[in-house]
Amino acid sequence: MHDPIALPGSIPTSAAPPPVNRIDFVNEGGTFLRMLARGALLLLVTFGFYRFWLSTSIRRHLWSRTSVAGENFEYTGTGRELLIGFLFALAILVPIYIVYFLIGIEFERLRAFTSLPLVLFMAIFGQFAIYRARRYRLTRTVWRGVRFWMSGSGWVYGLRAFGMQILVALSIGLAYPWYAAWRERYKMRHTFYGDAPGAFEGRAGQLFRRGIGMWMMTIGMALVFMIAAIAMSAANGFSHLPRSGGTILGVLIALWLIAAPFVYPYLKALEWRWWAQGVRIGGVSMQSSLRGGQLLKIYLKILGWVLLVLIGWGVLAGVVAGLFYVSFGEFKSFADLPLGAKIASGIAIVAGYLLLGLTIGVVQRFYSQHEVWRAVVGSLTIQGVASLDGVAARGEAANALGEGLADGLDVAGF
Amino acid sequence: MIEGSALYYDGLSNKQHAVTLRIGATLEIVEDGLMIAGWPFEWIRRADSSDGRIRLRTTNGSDLARLVLIDETFARSVLEACPRLEHNDPSGTTSTGRIVFWSLAAATSLILIGLYGIPFIAERLTPLIPASFERRLGEMADSQVTTVFDATPCQNPDGVRAFGKLIGDLQKTTGLSVPITATVVRSGVPNAIALPGGKVYLFRGLLEKAESADEIAGVLAHELGHVKHRDSVRILLQAGGTSFLLGLLLGDVTGSGAAIFAARTLLDASHSRGAEAAADDVAIESMNKLGRSPQPMGELLLRITGKEDRGLLNFIASHPLSEARLQRMSASPPAVPGPPLLDAGEWAALKQICGPSGQNTKTQNPKT
Repeated sequence: MHDPIALPGSIPTSAAPPPVNRIDFVNEGGTFLRMLARGALLLLVTFGFYRFWLSTSIRRHLWSRTSVAGENFEYTGTGRELLIGFLFALAILVPIYIVYFLIGIEFERLRAFTSLPLVLFMAIFGQFAIYRARRYRLTRTVWRGVRFWMSGSGWVYGLRAFGMQILVALSIGLAYPWYAAWRERYKMRHTFYGDAPGAFEGRAGQLFRRGIGMWMMTIGMALVFMIAAIAMSAANGFSHLPRSGGTILGVLIALWLIAAPFVYPYLKALEWRWWAQGVRIGGVSMQSSLRGGQLLKIYLKILGWVLLVLIGWGVLAGVVAGLFYVSFGEFKSFADLPLGAKIASGIAIVAGYLLLGLTIGVVQRFYSQHEVWRAVVGSLTIQGVASLDGVAARGEAANALGEGLADGLDVAGF
Repeated sequence: MIEGSALYYDGLSNKQHAVTLRIGATLEIVEDGLMIAGWPFEWIRRADSSDGRIRLRTTNGSDLARLVLIDETFARSVLEACPRLEHNDPSGTTSTGRIVFWSLAAATSLILIGLYGIPFIAERLTPLIPASFERRLGEMADSQVTTVFDATPCQNPDGVRAFGKLIGDLQKTTGLSVPITATVVRSGVPNAIALPGGKVYLFRGLLEKAESADEIAGVLAHELGHVKHRDSVRILLQAGGTSFLLGLLLGDVTGSGAAIFAARTLLDASHSRGAEAAADDVAIESMNKLGRSPQPMGELLLRITGKEDRGLLNFIASHPLSEARLQRMSASPPAVPGPPLLDAGEWAALKQICGPSGQNTKTQNPKT
């Protein structure tokens, strides 16, 4: 940096430059929660149209509270872009939907209930949408006046991702590390910050070795149970399970059903650590110390709050129903009620249902977006940020078609 | 002239420039004594920031260039100089008001299209759908019906003859142009259905519940009414249209999700009730032409469904209330009473079309 010419009254640089290898997240959970609550009400009065602006606000909040080397990220997308993307997606999806519908009729005629394979096409299309949506978000991500961007083909990604997902399903999950490694490699190799290319150096073998224990505890155990059940019934001439063996197996399966979901956050944390370790942008690399317990805590909080919300709304509904009964108890059946009471009860039921859904939506968004983001960013350490100094701007802002398709097909991805 | 220091990213590279800002005709950005950019004040907007420092962007030209104001007192005077700092901020009150207004307008228009536009379009499109497509639909529906119900035809010759006579009479009075294939089938469900392309099934369950030929004749005339109006095609078009419309509203083109399901049920039910009432009209008219009262059909319906008024749930019913249907049919006796459609012997033969009266009295909600 050149020495600035001393002009009267000017202090050219900030007092203490922040350490370069730092990634931070500013926790303003209260603001975020208020934004979600306001968004939920607006979703209600706009029949859901507000979702484009709500997800934009959410992203702006999360991006801007995250900073590297003292300079925060910025999300520059707008709700209007998402709306336009959605409308374009409709223009594409509507004809596809009609063709899909007609083909479905043709196949049904040949034999009843065989149009299911057509769902597969939509699955590939969903992966395409996920890739394109990521491109949109990336090109709206700005740091130090330079945007991220992405090349690569959504179709190539969609086809291969779909094929590999089938392999994962066939191998009952064992092939997942290879799918994940390929997926992240494809995405990161086509990711750029200005002219600094991204890369992914995580290995499938690593993920496999770290995760195989958890696979054994969940899917592996399920296989053991299945084999045990078959073996026991085979010993009995395939008629039924022996009583004692059946009881023991039943108890074990019950215990397993309770314990298995707890493995998920640990698996997820492991994947996050593996991902963070593998990501490269220019000379930047990361490490994550995310623990499964942190994610478990978040999931348990979601569960707890959802239960509380259900109980709260349940009590409220009980009180309202009680008042209703006290006022209209003399009527024997619903049909005998005066019209006003029928309408009022109908409105109360619909409003209660919507408010319950919206409250749960707020809880779920707060924990699964803000709190997970906070835990992940908080767990990161970063090296080599200085290598990004002087990166030149490249790449254009991509359109939001992918986001619209993802919205229309109801798929999500990161 | 007011001056202050700032950090500047020019949007071309991520190099941080230590600059001096001058509030002149524009916001002048000066590096090393050279003015490298000038931002007109009315173009300046606030950029997202979370560390307490003011970040600015400009909407003319380089949209990624950013200024980070360091000096707080100077930052205040810059902010005062920018008249449209928060303009078009989507989280602001005016923007939100606009979003709410247009969403409500869009929703109102979509709901009106759903209630009136789609039935109208379906009405106009139905005659344009070729009969071959309708037959294909019929084959598809047929293969599903035969999977779900016992569709073995009942073939007692005397019964078939009586049934043929009844259908022949009705076909003339309903004024159908397409050929009809009507069959009595073995299923115990008290129902009758009309498939696209002119296939009509009368289930044995309904025949067993019937006490006179007029009851059955009314139901058959109602089904022929569906065929005449090509209701299967119309309902298909309407249901497809409704899914699209709600997908547009709530963001899922394939039409799942609880809210979509609820709204779709309401709209589809409203469309379906309309079609049923129109088919009842055909039944009433046809019975009147034969000189018979349509009232027995209404009595048969009420006998099967029982009292139906369920308050608000009426709005999700696919058929009008049996009470209301009976009332309408009782109100339309024939002008000139005619002879019975079947004599006692023929009626007995029709009742026995599936062999001696079965024990099966399994009842389900009918959809006549």
